[in-house]
Amino acid sequence: MIEIRNLYKTFGSLKVLDGLTLTVKKGETFSVLGKSGTGKSVTLKCIVGLLAADAGDIFVDSVRVDLRDRKSLFSIRQMIGFLFQSGALYDSMSIRDNLIFNLTRHHKVRHNEADEKAVHYLTLVGLGRSVDKMPSELSGGMRKRAALARALVIEPRILLYDEPTTGLDPITSAEISDLIREMHSKFGITGIVVTHDILCAGIVSDRAGVLKDGVLKYTGTLNELAETRDEDVKGFFRNPL
Amino acid sequence: MKRVFEQIYALTAFSLRFFREVFLPPYEFGEFAAHLENFGSRSFPLVSVIGLLMGLILALQTKPTLARFGAESFLPAMVAISVVRELGPVITALVVAGRVSSGIGAEIGSMKVTEQIDALEVSSIDPYRFLVVPRVMAGTLALPLLTAYADLLGILGAFAVMFVSGGMGWQLFMSSTIASLSVADIVPGIAKTFFFGYIISMVGSYFGFKATGGTEGVGKAATTAVVFASFLILITDFVLVKVGILLFE
Repeated sequence: MIEIRNLYKTFGSLKVLDGLTLTVKKGETFSVLGKSGTGKSVTLKCIVGLLAADAGDIFVDSVRVDLRDRKSLFSIRQMIGFLFQSGALYDSMSIRDNLIFNLTRHHKVRHNEADEKAVHYLTLVGLGRSVDKMPSELSGGMRKRAALARALVIEPRILLYDEPTTGLDPITSAEISDLIREMHSKFGITGIVVTHDILCAGIVSDRAGVLKDGVLKYTGTLNELAETRDEDVKGFFRNPL
Repeated sequence: MKRVFEQIYALTAFSLRFFREVFLPPYEFGEFAAHLENFGSRSFPLVSVIGLLMGLILALQTKPTLARFGAESFLPAMVAISVVRELGPVITALVVAGRVSSGIGAEIGSMKVTEQIDALEVSSIDPYRFLVVPRVMAGTLALPLLTAYADLLGILGAFAVMFVSGGMGWQLFMSSTIASLSVADIVPGIAKTFFFGYIISMVGSYFGFKATGGTEGVGKAATTAVVFASFLILITDFVLVKVGILLFE
């Protein structure tokens, strides 16, 4: 479903990705773990075409991500939902309108139908009573839920999560992680979750990998990763950053 | 120095993109109307005060000098020509730049640092077409109207000074004003405000898109947008005055 082959990305003299290779199967949720600044978010942004890789290939549903080919990029983005670290809700619109906007603009859904869908997905994430609130009126956890509803409302086949629990208290983090797991089971979504929250990874992922020195080291189930002898990976599990 | 040229090159490329994007669908009529209101209607009170003060101050300052030479009757012509050709367009543009350019810089900058622009991109909505094109169109069309309004108020301000000091009645003032103005005064004065309006919105949008680094970056984008827009307005005015002289005189 998602295949990354030998991905390279540098910013000036800083080498971030150094031949990253990853395959995520259909319906699978893969967590990319790693310290801050190791290129986790960069990987996601390359998949969705927000950043251009220096070299390497990315295939989403066998379609190659090519920033020069706007048509194929558009078709890739049609099937991807993206949960940004900050939520990235449009702050000039209510959360209901945030969802309607994406549907009517991106997926050519009529306004009435879009409105029904928006309320449905906001209810699904527990925001049924807050549909007309502005993003600034929401707490951090509610904002993440609203952003998740906005990502889900386009009924994507793939969901990419950039630090879905960052900045949340442990209880809300667990709630959001459970919600992600539930949505993936319910809709059969393929997902990549970038996180340094080991508890979140434990709840949402089928497999995980640790990103270090620009490549994914040690992929497997979370239990397999925890048992590895590598000091860096063990340290990560001892002191999740 | 290299960075300055890189900045100018990037701003030029960003600005020229407008002329390609403006003709491509989807057309953002709703956004255009909203920004027209923001740029135009909401600038009205500020422009009203500035326009009136411009005429009042100009008349108050020049009246004693003209009176010394017995040329008080030339005051309506002097004010009208100064306001319509130069002061109205430039002062209105600078004042609106302070309000609108910084606003656009802060608004788009805030969207940039909170990943809202990335969210638009991921939703296959072209951020340039959605955020920049309607703002620049609104700015380009609204400023000439605001300037014409400010010019009118400036002339009325000058009349108020003349009337209060007992120097001139309404009919004489207006006939003198109208007689002094020609197409060569009005057309270049209004025409250059299309450029100023374009600069105000475009510079604000550019620095908004360039914003990085959280709230500090947003503040910097807003401030730099005003400074750069004001600078470009004055440079453009100089060039257009030269062109106006060549074309009309």
